[in-house]
Amino acid sequence: MTLPTIAAASRDLAARKISPVELTQTCLDRIAALDGTLNAFIKVTPERALADARAAEQRQMSGTARGPLDGIPIGHKDIYGTAGIATTAHSKLLQNWVPDTDATTVRLLHEAGTVMLGKLATHEFAFGGPSFDLPWPPARNPWDPEHFTSGSSSGTGAAVAAGLILGGTGSDTGGSIRGPAALCGIAGIKPTYGLCSRAGILPLAFSLDHAGPLAWTVEDCAMLLQAMAGHDPQDPASADRPVPNYTAGLGDGVKGLRVGIVRNWHERDRPVSPATQAGIDRAAEIWRDAGATVADVVLPSLFDFQAANFIILCSEAYGLHEPWMRERFHDYGDRLRSRMVFGGLFAASDYVQAQRFRRELCAATSEAAREFDILLTAGAPGEAPRIDNVPKFDGLQQPGFTAPMNQTGWPAMCVPSGFGEGGLPVAVQICAKPFQEAMLFRAADVLERAMGERAKRPALAC
Amino acid sequence: MPAKLPQHDFNALIHRAGLELSPAEIDELYGAWENIEPMLDRIRGGGTRPREAEPAMIFRPESL
Repeated sequence: MTLPTIAAASRDLAARKISPVELTQTCLDRIAALDGTLNAFIKVTPERALADARAAEQRQMSGTARGPLDGIPIGHKDIYGTAGIATTAHSKLLQNWVPDTDATTVRLLHEAGTVMLGKLATHEFAFGGPSFDLPWPPARNPWDPEHFTSGSSSGTGAAVAAGLILGGTGSDTGGSIRGPAALCGIAGIKPTYGLCSRAGILPLAFSLDHAGPLAWTVEDCAMLLQAMAGHDPQDPASADRPVPNYTAGLGDGVKGLRVGIVRNWHERDRPVSPATQAGIDRAAEIWRDAGATVADVVLPSLFDFQAANFIILCSEAYGLHEPWMRERFHDYGDRLRSRMVFGGLFAASDYVQAQRFRRELCAATSEAAREFDILLTAGAPGEAPRIDNVPKFDGLQQPGFTAPMNQTGWPAMCVPSGFGEGGLPVAVQICAKPFQEAMLFRAADVLERAMGERAKRPALAC
Repeated sequence: MPAKLPQHDFNALIHRAGLELSPAEIDELYGAWENIEPMLDRIRGGGTRPREAEPAMIFRPESL
């Protein structure tokens, strides 16, 4: 059997058609059967999972269920701190580190009643990968395990797509939620900067890091984000504002929404595969048919965003890792150290100039997108490459599509838009204005339902 | 296009950062540096950025 969506499981749990323990055991059985191929987990926590599930079951039986996520099995990217459970960042340097406290988002999801199945693979410290020289192997793509998941939330992407978990957490500093969502054929949202607390999550680059969920459907992402979002005094960048209901508007359609297609990104700066282009065209058509207005919008070049993101990201990351980079350079995996090292070579003025450039890019984006509610472009250039054919300096030669929204802090999500010639998923990326996640979900939900891609799971997962 | 920065200057940057790398590692990084120089040119703005242009990250005293 394949796993249900979070929404379907939630309904079945509420109706007592299934129990949290049964659902959790199904996940554990699937992990036992498939994770030897996929390497999605760093650590499975069956005792904790079954304890969580039994507690949810008791609440269910006593009529004190905590809400729609009570009894839903999930996993956490292994940069999310978990009290009493090792949090490794997929790195030799932290392989024995056990935090005392949960990350705020881990706590919030626990308080919502979720069942924790374990800790999920990541690119080392959410940056280097895929790597074959770390204490754990890289996660593999369930659509074809010879292919890449993208990263860095690679384990979450693989585990959701394979139906090992119903949803999970990720982080996104240049595309690390949206990339795995795109290549693994699932939904993933990078919320507005400041919406989800970063407290207790191992940082990569403070001014670019975002926490968010990945799941099989848009609705499932909305349900997870509902629990994760909210002000946290422990995170100095946390936004102190009410959290709206993210699922209430699903199904309301897109009539009247103004959609801007960022052709200069996916047709000029980095032309995408025919299947990816077809998915973008189809998305525009679906929205137009549903009553949205669709027009082109020209945003600053992907190359500009790439430059700012790379220099800011490497500088901030190197600032965090400098002592280890100097003293334990070869304890990092080759890919992580070979990328992050550049942050130690830039001048301080380069970092300042990159942040000044970033403000210009943000202002230009705001101005160009003034007349639009939603922006549409690619999530990735095409299908997943073979995992043994990902260039070490991938991201230096060609710009990606996701980094711009790390610069602006605007919410953005990837949803599947079909399959390419190789039979692997392709995706579109949808972006909105700050704190307009509800609108983003509404627009993405229209696409998801019209495209009908959610019925097909990876063969391995069936 | 080869890097504009001469290799001995690149080696000096590695040394200044306090990194102890093998010659092969330095050569590989120097090979990638040619992709980074255009990024540095972009963010520097060719000296045309207005003097008053602020960075994206600024200090807000009331937030502390």
